[in-house]
Amino acid sequence: MFVGRHEAQRSAISFVVRHKAQRSAVSMGGAQHLSYPMLGYTFRRLLGAVLVLWLAATLAFGAMQLTPGDPAQTLLAASGASPEEVARRRTQLGLDDPLPVQYARYLADLARGDLGVSWLHGRSVGRMILEQLPATAELALAATAFGALLGMALGLLAALYRETWVDALATGLAVLGLSTPVFWSGLLVILLFSLYLGWFPSAGSGDLRHLILPAATLGFALSGSVARLVRAQVIEVLRMPFVMAALARGLPLRRILLLHVLRPAVGPAVTVVALQLGFLLSGAVVTESVFARQGLGRLAVQAILWRDLPVVRGVVLVGALAYLLTSLLADLLQVWLDPRLR
Amino acid sequence: MRRLFILLLVAAALTTGCTPRPGGRIVYGLTLAPSGIDPHINASSELGIPLTSVYDTLIYQDPKTGEFVSGLAQKWEVSEDGRVYTFHLRRGVKFHDGTPFNAEAVRFNLERITSPDLASQKARFMLGPYERTEVVDEYTVRIVLKEPFAPLLDSLSQVYLAMASPAAVQKWGSEYQLHQVGTGPFVFVEYVPGDHLLLRRNPDYAWGPPVYQHRTAQLEEVEFRFFTDPATRSPALESGEADVMGEIPPQDAARLQGSSDFRIEAVAIPGVSLMLFMNTARPPLDDLLVRQALLFGTDRQAIISTVFRGTSPVACGPLAAITFGYNPMVCEFYPYNPGQAAMLLEQAGWKDTDGDGVRDKDGQPLALDLYLMGWGYMPEVGQLIADQWARLGIRVNSQVVSYPEALKIAQEGRHHLMPFNLSGSDPDILRKFFHSQAGFNWAKVNDPEMDGWLEEAARVSDRNRRADLYSQVQTRVMESALVIPIRDYVNLNGVNNRVQGLRFDARGWFPWLIDVTLAR
Repeated sequence: MFVGRHEAQRSAISFVVRHKAQRSAVSMGGAQHLSYPMLGYTFRRLLGAVLVLWLAATLAFGAMQLTPGDPAQTLLAASGASPEEVARRRTQLGLDDPLPVQYARYLADLARGDLGVSWLHGRSVGRMILEQLPATAELALAATAFGALLGMALGLLAALYRETWVDALATGLAVLGLSTPVFWSGLLVILLFSLYLGWFPSAGSGDLRHLILPAATLGFALSGSVARLVRAQVIEVLRMPFVMAALARGLPLRRILLLHVLRPAVGPAVTVVALQLGFLLSGAVVTESVFARQGLGRLAVQAILWRDLPVVRGVVLVGALAYLLTSLLADLLQVWLDPRLR
Repeated sequence: MRRLFILLLVAAALTTGCTPRPGGRIVYGLTLAPSGIDPHINASSELGIPLTSVYDTLIYQDPKTGEFVSGLAQKWEVSEDGRVYTFHLRRGVKFHDGTPFNAEAVRFNLERITSPDLASQKARFMLGPYERTEVVDEYTVRIVLKEPFAPLLDSLSQVYLAMASPAAVQKWGSEYQLHQVGTGPFVFVEYVPGDHLLLRRNPDYAWGPPVYQHRTAQLEEVEFRFFTDPATRSPALESGEADVMGEIPPQDAARLQGSSDFRIEAVAIPGVSLMLFMNTARPPLDDLLVRQALLFGTDRQAIISTVFRGTSPVACGPLAAITFGYNPMVCEFYPYNPGQAAMLLEQAGWKDTDGDGVRDKDGQPLALDLYLMGWGYMPEVGQLIADQWARLGIRVNSQVVSYPEALKIAQEGRHHLMPFNLSGSDPDILRKFFHSQAGFNWAKVNDPEMDGWLEEAARVSDRNRRADLYSQVQTRVMESALVIPIRDYVNLNGVNNRVQGLRFDARGWFPWLIDVTLAR
């Protein structure tokens, strides 16, 4: 998990660098208006998105072929079905067809917007995902908001009071967030806030009271990487001549910090947060389980364990779609935040 | 007269004081992730916990006597050749949607279960060699089998073969599992997958089986929630977010037992105990002496005390002691005796010639591949066994694998040892594990005599004859040292003390919620 996050950060940085280069190339092309390259850029990104979705669908198809175990046998073994009955079920599920046939059928269904029927549940995969998606989206958004705000606050404090006890405390909290697994921190949070203080329910989903503990737990885990990045960025920006200039012109400190320092410093953090979606989704699996919440994560884990391929593929696609949307939004947001990138 | 009146008043006050009041609501914690919950399609034990109270079955099994008693069928006859079961149905029974229950409804349900399109994962196979259902008249129905199948009555007493409203099944199609309609003491109100499932009292219920104590449900509502993370179950119980919680981890159960607000109701589950299957087809476990040495060299009591905190009985043989047909003689075999184990290994030619602490023979070290699944405390059990066997000079290479992968490994015979357990109230469950053609023949046994016993026991309806045959099977399994039994499965239910009258059916998993009341 942690290796994955560092990789995500590294690729986030190279991603930012690459896009800076691309964008400067665009502006050298002589675009006069702000909106034109933005529009073309968005269009190109959307085209790329279709390609990425197809790749994700293909990967989801291929990866599950590589994992060992026969879905029909997995479903029926405990019922004492005979080998003939298992074979019949395999045929019924279409697993006897050659791989290219299965793949073509899968893509054709997908093109019609049909995600198929779950082998384990016997229900439409699309419906099952739509049932679970709102709870996961709610958790992911709340956790991101909490993690981003906490991370920015910690990072800013740490940078402003660099090498004091404030810095040590804020950085310490960031490291704690980064390195505490959710299944453990979630349990501690339940013990403290539900069992001893009785402030929040430990389980379930629905209203805001149910959301606070899981969102804070997952958000805290997210805040660590944001805090570290914001700290480094703020320190860098503080050294910039324009900050000196603003100070020299006698602008109020709060205005300088919010407008001149935080705005450019937060840009890269936005990309990092967006690229943390993978972490967020995997963290959501654990969080959903610890807090007995609804969600896609638990659906996906169960589907993988039971080799319920239609569900696995459906969830992977939805994940890829979410990833594309957030990274697009993040890039647009970053451009809006930092005019230097335009 | 006046005195009598006062006495009556006092008596009335006393009884109302003692009798728990009807009404109220409890939250019941389930332990599995959201899963399909159509009892005719899906296979999990968890679905039966709520749905046993939504549906009725044709017959019921009394957990005390093991006898089958009337349910939706008032009486039944089995033909001489054991192929035709005739059921005389109760009249005046209505599904929650008003559909009348009759012979046609029974036929509809059994046809649904056996239809290939439904792709049933369990119910279909519980009907064994089912051929067809005949409607004799409005309240008489006949189930015809291709050949005799003794476990049929046991199957028909389980929620998987429960009677669903034909009208509702047709109306909802593949979404029926979110809108289930039965005839039971509770009505299925709503199911939000992954979040909760809500049942409400059926006020019209008047056809309960004799094993139920009340005519209608005492609780107004029961809400089910899903607690998949074992560590969170006891906190949810203690913070009052659940009133009943299944599968409390042993260490939490030990703590809750000392509490004045909660109790642990440990329910023994019949079926196949947790045991390690020894692959008799793969050297060195093809040698009976080596397998027997492993049995003598395993300190099961230590495993029960450490991993299960003494909450489970030590298993002696392949069947849990509570299962019908259990043969207590199996406990005579293989008491813990490491000296005996070492002697048997020496006898089989395994000695530590190079002094590296691991026995060897013909240049090969005594190393065994143990595959474990991540649930049911298998990794913990595997760890302890590896430690115990290391002291005997046996090296264990253990690896945790997923269930589908385990099935594949077993099929290919790549394992030396692999654990499994399965619940089931009929001893026919042994046929799934020890018949040479069985899907779970992880011991790779091929014993024609034992195959014959298992097949005969699945056909004869005489209970005594069946018990004798299963006794023989259990003895043979242990004599041939096919498995290392570890523990009998026990479901540790954490219960808030305000919840009273919680009883479970013969499967051990399914509560009879109709009789549950709230104190105060």
